[in-house]
Amino acid sequence: MLRRFAISGFLFCLVLTAGARTRPRYGGTLRMETTGDPWQMPDGVARRLVLDTLTTIGESGAAHPALAIRWESQDAAHRWEFVLRPGVRFHDGTPLTAESVIASLDQVCANGSIGPCPWSAVHAVGSSVIFVADSPVPDLPELLAQTGFDIFRKDSNGAMDGTGPFRVSGFQNGALILTANDDSWQGRPFLDSIAIDPHRAIRDQWLDLSVGNADMVEVPPEMLRQAQQQRLNVLVSRPVDLLALTIAPDGPLSSPGVRQSIALAVDRAALCNVIFQKQGEITASLLPESLSGYAFLFSTDRDLDRARVLRGGATLPVLVLAVDDTGASMQLAAERLVLNLHEAGFNVQIASSNSHPASLTLRRVYLQAASPRAALDEMLARFGQNGTVSGTDPASVWQSEQAALANATIVPLLWLPRAWAVGERVRDLSLSPDGMPSLANASVEGTQ
Amino acid sequence: MTLRQKLLLMFSLTVVGVVAAVAWTVSLRVRRVFEGLDREQTSALVAQFQREFDEQAADMAAALGRMADSDPLRRMAFEFSNGGDTAPYLTVAEPLAQEYRLDYLELAGHDGTIISSAQWPARFGYAEPAVADAGRPPFLKQEELPDGTSRVGLFAVRAVTGSNPPLYLIGGRELDAEFLRNFPATPGAQIYLYRDLTVSFDPANFAGSTPIPAGAAQFRQIVDQARSAGRNATGIVYLTRRREDSVDATAIPLKGADQSVLAVLVIANSRRGMVEVQNHIRAIAYGVAGIGILFAIAASLWIAARISAPIEELARAATQVAAGDWDTRVDIRAGDEVGVLARSFNHMVHELADHRDRLVQSERVAAWRELARRLAHELKNPLFPLQITVENMLRARKLPRIQFDEVFDESTATLQAEINNLRTIVARFSDFSKMPEPQMEKMDARDAVRRVLALYGPALDEKHIAIGTAIASEPLPIRGDPELLHRALSNIVLNAMDAMPDGGTLTVSASRSAESARIAVADSGAGLSEEECQRLFTPYYTTRHHGTGLGLAIVQSVVTDHFGSVTVERPDNGGARFVIFLPIAESVLALPESTA
Repeated sequence: MLRRFAISGFLFCLVLTAGARTRPRYGGTLRMETTGDPWQMPDGVARRLVLDTLTTIGESGAAHPALAIRWESQDAAHRWEFVLRPGVRFHDGTPLTAESVIASLDQVCANGSIGPCPWSAVHAVGSSVIFVADSPVPDLPELLAQTGFDIFRKDSNGAMDGTGPFRVSGFQNGALILTANDDSWQGRPFLDSIAIDPHRAIRDQWLDLSVGNADMVEVPPEMLRQAQQQRLNVLVSRPVDLLALTIAPDGPLSSPGVRQSIALAVDRAALCNVIFQKQGEITASLLPESLSGYAFLFSTDRDLDRARVLRGGATLPVLVLAVDDTGASMQLAAERLVLNLHEAGFNVQIASSNSHPASLTLRRVYLQAASPRAALDEMLARFGQNGTVSGTDPASVWQSEQAALANATIVPLLWLPRAWAVGERVRDLSLSPDGMPSLANASVEGTQ
Repeated sequence: MTLRQKLLLMFSLTVVGVVAAVAWTVSLRVRRVFEGLDREQTSALVAQFQREFDEQAADMAAALGRMADSDPLRRMAFEFSNGGDTAPYLTVAEPLAQEYRLDYLELAGHDGTIISSAQWPARFGYAEPAVADAGRPPFLKQEELPDGTSRVGLFAVRAVTGSNPPLYLIGGRELDAEFLRNFPATPGAQIYLYRDLTVSFDPANFAGSTPIPAGAAQFRQIVDQARSAGRNATGIVYLTRRREDSVDATAIPLKGADQSVLAVLVIANSRRGMVEVQNHIRAIAYGVAGIGILFAIAASLWIAARISAPIEELARAATQVAAGDWDTRVDIRAGDEVGVLARSFNHMVHELADHRDRLVQSERVAAWRELARRLAHELKNPLFPLQITVENMLRARKLPRIQFDEVFDESTATLQAEINNLRTIVARFSDFSKMPEPQMEKMDARDAVRRVLALYGPALDEKHIAIGTAIASEPLPIRGDPELLHRALSNIVLNAMDAMPDGGTLTVSASRSAESARIAVADSGAGLSEEECQRLFTPYYTTRHHGTGLGLAIVQSVVTDHFGSVTVERPDNGGARFVIFLPIAESVLALPESTA
């Protein structure tokens, strides 16, 4: 009996020890390095940690409560009422009210950073925010989950203050320091602070990770295979970045046939298989196959002969191709596109400081929404296209996308994932459906 | 120009000519020597460049060979031969190129498709034709770059050792300033590379291990010559207007595998040193020449003085002799030719003086003889009647008184007439010996002519001599003695009357001829022989039995005293014409209107 009791006690201790090792611990600082600005729109890491939205996107792609605990549509989605979560305060202690939400949204709509807002009026009724739109906005909850609709207030210095799990506490050695918000409505995060070192080259990030100077670094898609070969702990998102070529419908490429010629001349396979090391998804659709299910209907084949026929004997000036990303892979992709287009008879130069306005732009567009309809609306907005998806069924979404791509001003090329390499002491880190790390739930080992 | 000046000029020119010829010869010789050295140096530079170029090519090929032998490449080739994916090796070329210090590197599969490109990473999957040159010696190739430009590079193609199918390495080094810097520096020599031949000449397309000179545009001719002819072109290129900035340039066309000219290498060997030495030599030559010329002038002065002084003395003596100083003699200072000349001159002057004295004496005797002859001739004519008359009177004493008286009266009359005749003859001689000094005054030559015609007009009419006149309408101002001129013209008119005893035509004209007043008196008489014309103005020469031979002598004397001249002509239509030229006095143009 005693022996049995002793064995049971030993096993209980073992279980307790295992649980203690896997249970998150409070405290510690997570050191993160990025190539870009952590506060940039729409995918700045720090922004996501400091600011909240009224809703969030769940794994299923549907909207989940955040600052709004519930919502309701009325008048065939022309009117929406969002009830705010009680007891939420900004980092400076100011309570979150419907008025402060409306003021934040008004600022967002006024500066046009996310394009035109889909509602015509917004007002407060008690703790509720009422949106009124001229046309139905059935996916407004998903739309309000996008980063652009962050809720914030500006303090006396003009700095943005949010309700997120972390607050900005300053800079240290060039790194942005975020500290835990003890009063977060989501509960206090496990990490005491996060140090984000911006504008670091990928090689430097990886070096810092290997020597223990960083806990979390970026992994570009084209280096995913290399990271895996180096046995890094990599978190890979679903495809969230669309690599696309946009063609200005005015100027030298005003002819739809010539634009179609360009679309047929690009070699997506070479981009995907070689430049992005087979880590992307070849596409001619604005939505990834996993999201829409119909992306395969858009042909991705290269047809150089037809491209030459469509181009015909048009006399075109030297076309300028701009790249909205300074990354090496994007530059390489742009050079490859120049070669592809040269084969079809186009004379294209990559934009330099003294070149003419670009007729072509290679863009990497971030997709945050996780439902087909909301995603297409988001992409159309990102590409500056007017209109929204009329129906909710996949056929309506497909028709809307087909109409958007018909004039060949947008040539989708690849869907790319986002990836992060994390150090061994990071625990419980996962990626949200939009590819961003959920740092509010992460912790680090080796802290008291 | 004096003899001394001529000698001085001749000596100076001779010295200058000699110095110039020597300087030119030296300069030419020096220039040829230096140009020869310059050409040799340039040829050596070209040869050195060729060697260095070959060595660089060998180095590059060796680097590519080491790469082809390296384990990573062999593993890569092995992986490919086993169906391995080439995509992960997209960026492998760039670090390899850096490691092996290559500017260009491409990895290409057995079919020539590019797997990885250091210079143009986006070209993966495209064909690289250069794989056909695998194993060949290094060659030049125009390499296209992503920015739309192209560069010339020295390339080699090697297959990775042991690869099957082969994995090709196409490596190269750009022919740029860095490439040129690898060549050993030679003082004064520069190497430039003209790269872009696809457009017209532009100095901006030059690359060099040193800064491109401002005058690089001057290389255009030899660059164009080399690129068009496809062979070396040489020439002297003046980078600026200064000779020191000229170079001895050789343009070497760099050809690709297809023998097309891809670039032109310009080896410029500065001529500054040669030009400076030339200038130095020229400056020395000029200095020596200047000093030599000055010395030559001084020497010439001395020599000319030595040579010309006796001659000048001879010239002065000759001038004095010519002026009538027959006592002039020159000093005999040397025994050379000039001394002989001086001695001969003195002897000649002495002889001339003696001869002149003898001539004067003989002329004087001849004159006296002539005078005596004339006097005898003149006096003999009246003396014979006088003798006859006296003899008649002596014979008449025997005649009756009445007849005696008659004879006496006739004889006395005859005696008186002949005595008057003698007196006239004597008076004429006396007048000739007492020609008065002319009293010059302003006058119109036409007045003298008119006056004579007015005086002798009636007498001419009596002798049936017609008068023709041609007197100028403009005044003929002269300075003269009206009485003497009247006397001279009268003598001519009287001679003309004598020449036309049976009548005829007397033509008198007065006109302006150049700077002289021309007065001509022509008769239509028997005319004159050539000998008569020559002796006509000789005193006491006459063609008439009763003439004294002094009339025309007086005419010549008067005309000479008026600084004029008188001549006699023989017109084709017969007769004689006396022409007097008297100088026009412009200062007396404003003659009274009445004289016109």
